[in-house]
Amino acid sequence: MASRVAILVPVRDDASGLARTLEAVRARAPELGGVTVFVVDDGSEPPVDPACLPERTSDFRVVLARHTVNLGQGAALETARQLALSAPVPFRAYVTMDADGQHRASDVRALVAAIEQGADVAFGNRFMGDSNVPPGRRVLLFCARWFERALTGLRLADAHNGFRAFRRGALERVVIRQNRMAHATEIKLRVSRAPALRVVEVPVSVRYSRETLAKGQRSTGAAAVASDLLLHYLFGDSP
Amino acid sequence: MSIAKALLLLLVAGLVAFDFITLRGKNRRGLLLEVAVFVAGAVFIVFPERATALAHVVGIGRGVDFLLYPTVIWLVRESLSSRRQRIESAEQLTQLVRAVAILQAREVGAPPHPQSDGASPQVVESSASVTA
Repeated sequence: MASRVAILVPVRDDASGLARTLEAVRARAPELGGVTVFVVDDGSEPPVDPACLPERTSDFRVVLARHTVNLGQGAALETARQLALSAPVPFRAYVTMDADGQHRASDVRALVAAIEQGADVAFGNRFMGDSNVPPGRRVLLFCARWFERALTGLRLADAHNGFRAFRRGALERVVIRQNRMAHATEIKLRVSRAPALRVVEVPVSVRYSRETLAKGQRSTGAAAVASDLLLHYLFGDSP
Repeated sequence: MSIAKALLLLLVAGLVAFDFITLRGKNRRGLLLEVAVFVAGAVFIVFPERATALAHVVGIGRGVDFLLYPTVIWLVRESLSSRRQRIESAEQLTQLVRAVAILQAREVGAPPHPQSDGASPQVVESSASVTA
């Protein structure tokens, strides 16, 4: 059985947040049986400096790729997905994680454990964990949850949570064509339409700070997500 | 001639002149087509009864409707076509940028002689042929 865990991390213009996130992952790497992090720098200016990232150890490795122009978080995640899947030795689980410090490295273990226990896809649920979700964001996520339920049929308690884990076979089916923030809904759509995938939710903690709220999705982003989904439904290859 | 007609003719002439100057001899055939369409438009501006007569031939009441219906249909079609082309161009750009990113991906701090496991730079390089 494959031993290491792959973590896919898109990042843009947040080198310090990335370094802190990777440092936290490195601290947890031994208990995870080794981690390879696939970081995709989505057109940061200045580019992510490899020298600023935590050093390689036997349990912790970082593969760094860079989009020369900014394409969007979905596109960066797709690049990381292709990189991780191209490795000849499969990973035990493939975890997607934000670079801004919202997600706790300590929760990776629970997501990986869900995959090891038979789930094909484990979605993080911030409402079951120790999260400090602001009231405005709660309302937005409540609406997004019902929107995604109607669209995908998946009855999940959280929406647009970037903290998830996949078994390899499941990740192979989740091709991301939405370059921007609509990729989170697209992932759920693809999971819902893939036959016989076992989907679970795992409690995770999402910690909001002034920084993460400033960088994260705004309420107006919901309209952009809906617009992207519609346009790709009409003119693209998205489901 | 009414003020509206004069202003519309001025607009048509101004647009043709602007395109003629900015194109600087490029895309002459396209410019000729534009001039032809604009001249036809100018004729209908000056002689709107000609448009009305044509409209009556095909069973439409007003000359302006005779011109407006096909124009709106064509503009909607053109808008959808442009949108589709923009999305296709964006997908092509994404694939290109991704291919370069995968080709240049490197393991941070990897030793000069990479091992043959799932994280070595050689493995990453070999994935360059992977496409979406």
